[in-house]
Amino acid sequence: MIRGGYFGRFLRVDTGSGRATVVPIAPAVLESVIGGVGLGTYLLARETPAGFDPYGPEAAVVFAFGPLVGTPLTTSAKFAVVTKSPLTDRLTDSLSSSAFALSGKRTGFDALVLVGRAERPSVVLIDGDRVEIAECSDLWDTDLGVSDATAALAKRFPRYELATIGVAGERLVRYAGLANGGRHAGRGGIGAVLGSKRIKAIGVRGSERVPLADAARTVALSRDLARRSLGPATEKYRELGTVANLATFNRLAALPTRNFQQATFEGAAAISGEVLKVTREKGRGSCAACTIGCEHFYEVERGAAPVKAEYENLFALGPLCGISDPDVVLAASRACDELGLDTISAGGTIAFAMECSERGLLDRGPWGDQAKGLRFGDGARLLTLLDDIAHRRGALGDLLAEGSRRAARAIGPPAPDFAPHVKGLEIPGYEPRALQSMALGFAVGSRGADHNRSGAYEVDFSGKVDRFAGSPEGARLAVETEDRAALLDALILCKFLRGALRDPSAEAAEMLRAVTGIEFSADDTRAAAARIVLLKKLFNVREGWTAAEDTLPARFFDDALPDGVSRGAVLSRDGLDAMIAAYYAARGWRADGSVPGTLVAAAGLESVASRRTGDTTSA
Amino acid sequence: MVTIELFGVPRLRAGRDAFCVDAASLGQAFRALGEACPSLAPSVVDGDRLQPHYLVAVNGTQFTADPSTPLRDGDVVVLVSAEAGG
Repeated sequence: MIRGGYFGRFLRVDTGSGRATVVPIAPAVLESVIGGVGLGTYLLARETPAGFDPYGPEAAVVFAFGPLVGTPLTTSAKFAVVTKSPLTDRLTDSLSSSAFALSGKRTGFDALVLVGRAERPSVVLIDGDRVEIAECSDLWDTDLGVSDATAALAKRFPRYELATIGVAGERLVRYAGLANGGRHAGRGGIGAVLGSKRIKAIGVRGSERVPLADAARTVALSRDLARRSLGPATEKYRELGTVANLATFNRLAALPTRNFQQATFEGAAAISGEVLKVTREKGRGSCAACTIGCEHFYEVERGAAPVKAEYENLFALGPLCGISDPDVVLAASRACDELGLDTISAGGTIAFAMECSERGLLDRGPWGDQAKGLRFGDGARLLTLLDDIAHRRGALGDLLAEGSRRAARAIGPPAPDFAPHVKGLEIPGYEPRALQSMALGFAVGSRGADHNRSGAYEVDFSGKVDRFAGSPEGARLAVETEDRAALLDALILCKFLRGALRDPSAEAAEMLRAVTGIEFSADDTRAAAARIVLLKKLFNVREGWTAAEDTLPARFFDDALPDGVSRGAVLSRDGLDAMIAAYYAARGWRADGSVPGTLVAAAGLESVASRRTGDTTSA
Repeated sequence: MVTIELFGVPRLRAGRDAFCVDAASLGQAFRALGEACPSLAPSVVDGDRLQPHYLVAVNGTQFTADPSTPLRDGDVVVLVSAEAGG
């Protein structure tokens, strides 16, 4: 019996009619997929027909909370946004955090599901079970950045926590994100899906308290976890943040540079975390209810608000584009935030365009004039292009707003060979030839090239495998990192805690018992994690997945890395195939990547694999 | 001589990016590093051991923390955080 953590219902909001429907969620569903990304994926599958258009009114955007949101457990103030990506046409699930998660849960729902399409640009306001679709046409198609637009909405709709899209979402840039309180559900084009619904923002507030089955035990577990969160496992994030990766990856020749043509960058030192800390750091921050505090802010212009930077911002807008000027890289990062662009996809797509231009591939075609002279290292053009993309300005801005996969198809051969994506999602800052377990993680990822859903780079860093030669053993270890990520994304807890967790499955079960009263065991949470990975796979299968998608661009097989300690490293097609085969086998899938019906039935996911929808969700 | 290159928090703590030490194994290198730079002991190195949240890549290639790993004159030990999340 559920005695805490959940409300056992979700709210479906038709953004066209304003109709709101309260839908119960069966306890068995919550037990089987826990919450967060698990629940979000489950509801997305149940609330949409197979093969739906991510920009169609039938598309659903699911805001899913976990059972731990609102508890004192550190880093638990998070939410997942799940939809079908207009960039990949597959599942996308992004996490964000802080006050929106807390207020969203206080609405008294485990998830909020937006469907339909508003007649005019609007903000969706959810106050408990009261819903209003409020027009905000005056804030659509303006020069306001995300921060100013959010401030204007906050003045108009006080006491709501807001998540807002930028101009990129309005213009349906396929990698537009969603921002709340300086944080971003960035990947996969969630902002564009909301833009297609003419939803500028969603505001949430409520007064429901999250019940705790065993409050004393929850508090005791929270204190213990908070203590460990301040230990050596999170020191890197506290002291330097993720930007610490940049100099390290450069030394290990794992830093993607100039659109993955190199793995070291001669200008890395200038934008390294170690140098930025000494020369520019202006302070630290943290999400609500977090004891780690991984956010680091850096000065760009004296007197202006400092910029928060992460490794992925720096890598994608710096080395990947051949840019080492920290003023430019940090300004580009801020521009992405204000325009509502995913930094990884923006940097990846522009880096791809820079290489195309240097190779003369953009000379012909409608984008020729706008692309003239585009070269790696041109910071001014980077900043201009970000704005052009967000506004779909000119033929080149419009082309690059489609992402590297679609742009490469439009440009023609040989561009698709070096368009830096998997399933259409641009590759993050882990060079696959130098980290070959991660290559597998990218290839099989349900979201596409993804460092947050597969932590296979940890396998490469473990010393248990040869990082330059992927292996079936590496694939089996990669499955463990993927399952752990699925579990943390369902609870939801921050992945930066992973090193502080002794046994994530057992500890998750202990937390869930205290919060929900359900007798979860470590085996239950392990099974739930595998079920969630399967659920994502089944959604993608339903939407047209084929095994041919589980690969990387030709460059990674054809071009050996030229530099640093990774000189000569290249992926072998046979080697990656062997890893994929080992991965499929470890998941219980067939050799062609399809899922046996017996596995679906054992996981209790038959209904998800079908096209059924209904007004009561049950397992 | 063996060069130990520091990245991330160890570099901040040490206030420099590299040390040269005499060592024929990783364990000897860890001990020598702790003696040369007390601010890294015991948070990064503890005697001839590396703390669990750190790793080294000998000459930048394969990762290990095994103190018995042999070193040769001229080797470069790259000391990094084992937490590679970004």
